[in-house]
Amino acid sequence: MASGLFGYTVRRLLWAVPVIFIISVAVFYMLRLAPGDPVDAILQKNYQEEQAALLRKKYGYDEPIHVQYYKYMKNLAQGDLGISTRHRDFTASEVILPKVWVSSQIGFMALLIIFSLGIPVGVYAALARGTFLDPLTISSWLALDAIPVFVMIPVVQWLFALKLGIVGLGYEGVWSSHMVLPVLVLSLPGVAGVARLMRASVVGVLNEDYVRTARAKGLRERTVIITHITRNAMLPMVTVIGLSLPGIAAGSLFVEQLFGIPGIGQESLAAALAPDFDVILALVLFGSFLFVMANVVIDVVYSMIDPRIRVGAARGG
Amino acid sequence: MAIADAAQELYSAGPIAQPRRFRMLRALIRKKLAVIAIVYLLVFYSGGIFAPLVAPYNPNRQELTVEARRQGPSAEHIFGTDALGRDLFSRVLYAARTTILFTLVVILTGGLVLGLGLGLLAGYRGGWVDTAIMRTGEVLGGLPTLILMLAITAAFRGRINDLSFWLEDHTWLGSDAKTLVKFTIIVGAATPFAWIGSSRIVRGQALSIRESSFVTAAEAMGASTWRIVSRHILPGVMPLFIVGLSASMAGIAGSEVALSYLGLGIDPPGSSFGNLIGDAGFVRTFEQYPHLLLVSSLPVIFFFYAWNLLGDALVDLFEPRTHTQR
Repeated sequence: MASGLFGYTVRRLLWAVPVIFIISVAVFYMLRLAPGDPVDAILQKNYQEEQAALLRKKYGYDEPIHVQYYKYMKNLAQGDLGISTRHRDFTASEVILPKVWVSSQIGFMALLIIFSLGIPVGVYAALARGTFLDPLTISSWLALDAIPVFVMIPVVQWLFALKLGIVGLGYEGVWSSHMVLPVLVLSLPGVAGVARLMRASVVGVLNEDYVRTARAKGLRERTVIITHITRNAMLPMVTVIGLSLPGIAAGSLFVEQLFGIPGIGQESLAAALAPDFDVILALVLFGSFLFVMANVVIDVVYSMIDPRIRVGAARGG
Repeated sequence: MAIADAAQELYSAGPIAQPRRFRMLRALIRKKLAVIAIVYLLVFYSGGIFAPLVAPYNPNRQELTVEARRQGPSAEHIFGTDALGRDLFSRVLYAARTTILFTLVVILTGGLVLGLGLGLLAGYRGGWVDTAIMRTGEVLGGLPTLILMLAITAAFRGRINDLSFWLEDHTWLGSDAKTLVKFTIIVGAATPFAWIGSSRIVRGQALSIRESSFVTAAEAMGASTWRIVSRHILPGVMPLFIVGLSASMAGIAGSEVALSYLGLGIDPPGSSFGNLIGDAGFVRTFEQYPHLLLVSSLPVIFFFYAWNLLGDALVDLFEPRTHTQR
């Protein structure tokens, strides 16, 4: 068992490596071939020639692009992601890491809310199938999904902060009441997707023998729904966590920008607009790596709780 | 060939004698929400396509007097005017045009060429080609797509000025050159991520059709790969492919709106829902001039919603397993 699981994980990782490599080369070429001397950008106008030479040597700015890539990767292996042109006394990793922490906490809260809303909504819709309540439930959550976060944000800010005065605006740390709106805005659009998949999953489970058995032996409907239907239908939802991540990352860009949260989304936007090439590159590589790792972890967890998947993979599926 | 054609007819006839296509259409019309969505989309598309004819004003005509700016809706300006006194209804129509054009181009490149092509290749060839394509899509689909798109646009936007000036001077494009170049960049940024969903659907269908007896018959008669794929597999793949496309429309259109909103897509004076919302989408602006945000966002929100509902209805029709099963 352990070896099958291990092989499965390794195969997943091995596929991620070339893809991330290709992405990194493509993005690196695109960014480094942009006009302008990065040394000028980093040191501004007044600098000693020795400083410039030092930078050029370390990052290889004056060398062919494949050598630059090699040096970048070599520095990356030592934890040096290059230099930010916007925050001049900081390296790219110093800029990014604290912000990653802020964003991951917010993203994690959003993920929790997406699933704790999406799963009951999906179960409800599946059980109501055949009536108008099923399409009504799903389509009203889909309506929330259709509203871009950057439209939703000014409206909720106006309604809840300015008009009703329930919550405050402005960033006061991750664990404050001011984060209620941002986290909700970040999570609500994702609920429809989870609910839809959960609904399909529940519908698939409804006709299983064990559900019929549970009903036949006279269990209360509540028990059947919670312990027999929902718990089994929730198994495949583990993989949906991975599907929700890109949506959260995209949403956090706007949420962090419009709520003034110093996170990775705000940083990527500022870096892309500047443009701050090394920070963009670092964000892309770091983000890709993080997301691939998250998906690998999710797959492994899934194959641990549902061994059927692992067997299928071992057969070359 | 006659045998293969007969076999195909058998396959597509199914239990009901009516042609499959019309049966689907009728089932779709029975869904009220889907009909409303289709009607709205027709309005949206005709408004966008015929924008030059429908628009009451030039979308770029400014009127900078205090009274003319940020007017609320009135008989002359049914959507009001923006901060520069431009007629918002006209701008919204042209923004719809941008959305339509963008989705069309991305669906042609990312959906039809890459999605259908790679999906057919993976499904028909199988083996390592299949594994490579599908696993690449899996990894790409799991990445923070919008951040990658930001990186691509950021890398190219720095270099576009020279190109757009050159195009302005040397081609008939004139002042449209800048918008065209920016448009190309966001298409280029969206395309690499637009094929994943549709190729997965196409592959699945192609895999199952490949195993059917009419394909075996065609192979036995020595039909070329091209003929088998285009004559026997493609027709079976198309319906679900179209369903997949309609489900992904909102996402594709949304990426343009998001990039333009961030100032990395279509800039003013070019009109896009992204930059219209960007001009209106701050809490203080919304407090004072709510119509600015509402009229520039609701048309596109309904557009997203209509495509989502339509896609949902189509998926339901093609996978009756999920709703008719008792």
